[in-house]
Amino acid sequence: MSEDRATSGLAKSAGSNLVARIMRFGALPIVLVICVVVFQLGNDRFLSQINVLNMTQQGVFLMLIAFGQMIVLIAGGFDLSVGAVVAMTSIISAKAMVAVTGAMPDAAGLAITIGFITALAVGLGAGLVNAIGVAVLKVNAFIVTLATASIFQGLTLVISQGIQVSGLPRPFIYEIGSGRFLGIPVAALLAIPVLFLVYLAVHHMRFGRYLYAIGSNAKSAVVAGIVVNRQLLKAYVMCSMITAFSGWLLTARVSSGEPLLGGEFPLNSIAAAVIGGCSLRGGEGTVLGVFMGVVFITMLGNGMDLLRIGSNYQMIVLGIVLVGAVVLDRYRAAGAAN
Amino acid sequence: MSPDINQKEGETIVSLSNASKFYGSFAALKDVNLNLKRGEVHILLGENGAGKSTVVSLITGVNRLDEGERLLHGRPAPYMTPIEARRAGINAVLQDFSLAPALTMEENYVLGREPLKLGLVDRSTSRAETVSALKKLGLEFDPGRRVDTLSRAEQQMLEITRALGGRPGALILDEPTAALSHDESERLFEVILQLRAENWAILYISHRMEEVRRLGDVVTILRDGRMSGHHRLADVSNEQLISDMVGREMGDFYPHIPHQPGEPVLEVAKLTSGSAVQRASLTLHAGEIVGLGGLVGCGKTELARSLFGLCDITEGHIVLHGRTITDPSPATMLKKGLIYLPQDRRGEALALNRSISENIVLEVLAGSDNVKAGFVRTGKLAQLVDGLLARLNVSPRDPNKKVGELSGGNQQKVVLGRALSRERKVYVFDEPTTGIDVGARRDFYRELEALCADGAGVLLVTSDLQELVHMPHRAFVMHEGHFVVELAKDQLQEEIVVAYAFGETPEGEQLPEGELVQ
Repeated sequence: MSEDRATSGLAKSAGSNLVARIMRFGALPIVLVICVVVFQLGNDRFLSQINVLNMTQQGVFLMLIAFGQMIVLIAGGFDLSVGAVVAMTSIISAKAMVAVTGAMPDAAGLAITIGFITALAVGLGAGLVNAIGVAVLKVNAFIVTLATASIFQGLTLVISQGIQVSGLPRPFIYEIGSGRFLGIPVAALLAIPVLFLVYLAVHHMRFGRYLYAIGSNAKSAVVAGIVVNRQLLKAYVMCSMITAFSGWLLTARVSSGEPLLGGEFPLNSIAAAVIGGCSLRGGEGTVLGVFMGVVFITMLGNGMDLLRIGSNYQMIVLGIVLVGAVVLDRYRAAGAAN
Repeated sequence: MSPDINQKEGETIVSLSNASKFYGSFAALKDVNLNLKRGEVHILLGENGAGKSTVVSLITGVNRLDEGERLLHGRPAPYMTPIEARRAGINAVLQDFSLAPALTMEENYVLGREPLKLGLVDRSTSRAETVSALKKLGLEFDPGRRVDTLSRAEQQMLEITRALGGRPGALILDEPTAALSHDESERLFEVILQLRAENWAILYISHRMEEVRRLGDVVTILRDGRMSGHHRLADVSNEQLISDMVGREMGDFYPHIPHQPGEPVLEVAKLTSGSAVQRASLTLHAGEIVGLGGLVGCGKTELARSLFGLCDITEGHIVLHGRTITDPSPATMLKKGLIYLPQDRRGEALALNRSISENIVLEVLAGSDNVKAGFVRTGKLAQLVDGLLARLNVSPRDPNKKVGELSGGNQQKVVLGRALSRERKVYVFDEPTTGIDVGARRDFYRELEALCADGAGVLLVTSDLQELVHMPHRAFVMHEGHFVVELAKDQLQEEIVVAYAFGETPEGEQLPEGELVQ
């Protein structure tokens, strides 16, 4: 679809349209290629099979959360509570799994299933709270999710007493957490259907059309007969549930319920989405773009690790990259206005 | 006070001669002459879009002239800026207020020229100045109140107070009584007459004939950017003023649509919406166009919006195709077959950074035939969009083009395309032809004709007199929230509509307060 848009545009005004397309999307692939080249030159293990699978394993959690974040961003919102939702999911689902395991030590499958359902329930609850704040109470999404982030994190610490929850079922840790199937990390395989569902929802379903309409101009969405609150509710619930799913997978990866898990996700998921073309003003962003944004951020982290750049420096680099992406976003908006 | 200015009565402060202003090839103003003289109240009269605001922008230095000459105190001033205009004693109160809402009245009053003491703002002096300035207008506000706690009328009075605190000379008032109550207006009139006695020059823009008569010494009338009249008010009749204002032309531009009303499709029963609409009743039949006219702010837009649930209905109800509705919302009204097209296209009708296609199909997605299990049936919708783009002659005919990149006329066509994306019983158009060119306008009228032929009912809310007189089969005129008259086709004449819109009968008599059409 974006292909024929490009060709029909090229026929009319090749020059300006090409620039517009690069501004819209194209800068990111170019930056990605440059990154690959630089990191590969810096350390030839970068593109090795082991490292690529390693990056997949590292990046899958952010991929899920950034997809959730994208849904909310397209609708013109924000979700700063994704990190706290990860931590809350980790603690509550771990407690549930440990409780089931304690009662029935042999029923690992049941414990994992209950842990999974608990995680989704936590996501549903968190999403509803966010949605009520944004859609019903009409408070700015930034403030609502900043506040709920604090609330969820506080709840997590109260429930966990600040202590990790260990004693998770072994198959949960060794199969879902670090297992491979046909060489591919199981967590990534489990994430793929979810990512595909998000793709369908955003680009092929009515829900997606409504998200773009609301994010682009909420007033006109009302006039077109869209019940905006209902769609916002769906968006925030989806974001939180996907985040909770990611938190559950991450719990398996770190092999215990962690009360301080996921603190980097609010910044990283927004950074990935914005770098991938989501507008902070809403109404813009694509699944492919966000996918590339996450790949970029994951590669950046992994590549800098291989180059032995310390994590403190990585934070600085990420901040600079994010500002760069936002400036790019503004040029994109200015380009669209002309 | 400033003793250096020659304060002789009759001295011209600012004048325009043969002034023209172009936007592209469009002449917003052409060969206009205007002199603002001390001791004179100069009325500027004209329909919406006649060029009144452009005149004000030239006098206050906001815009430069493209042709002609501007004289300030007798000297040419082609490059005058707003600051220079203010320093030269030209003070303007425009419709968009320039107050800072988060500051108090006194902070606003002295804004930009705060009295200082040791480099700090001298609060007691600024308070004293504010109080005495307010008192001059007979106002007793607490100057410590924040501006955003004031009513619109109070803000208006503060704005006027501030304009009078500048260098004495000329005062420009753009529809100053629009937001004022009767008593407040009376006080303002006293102030204006007092200022005239103090040799101020006043430019007064208003639609209200009563004010024009009461205050004005001379009047300049604009139509389509040109001067269509200049009179001393003592020597001119109301009929002359109105005919100068509306002119006559473009008669055969409008299609003749046969009037064959069918079943009633929409009934509005004693609908009240806040203070904007008072007990309005009308019936719209299938196959007819009913016009709704009146001045800006008379409540016609609010009435249209309340039918669609965008303004609250405080009393009364509507009956749509036999079903009574007291609490409409856009989603339910669309489902029941009524669509409203808002006047603010960019702000309320369009998602500007989305494509033409997405904008057009947005509303039909609610129906089940274009969506299967939540999935959009892209192929079917693409056909629909293609058909509409061809029918409406949208240019460019590219469904993937972003709507924000289209011209005003084509944006309007996209909005219309959404309305036509499926059949409906009732179409409510709110100022549908503002800001679009003649060709797009003609296309729009042809679509109205087609809708009528298909048996839809159309409610056409418009401030465009020509449109109101020529398009509808009958029309209601509103004045201050009330329906004052229903005009049949043979009574739909500009002079009659204008008279009622001003709250008068065509014979020039004042209508009784709140007269209702039953």
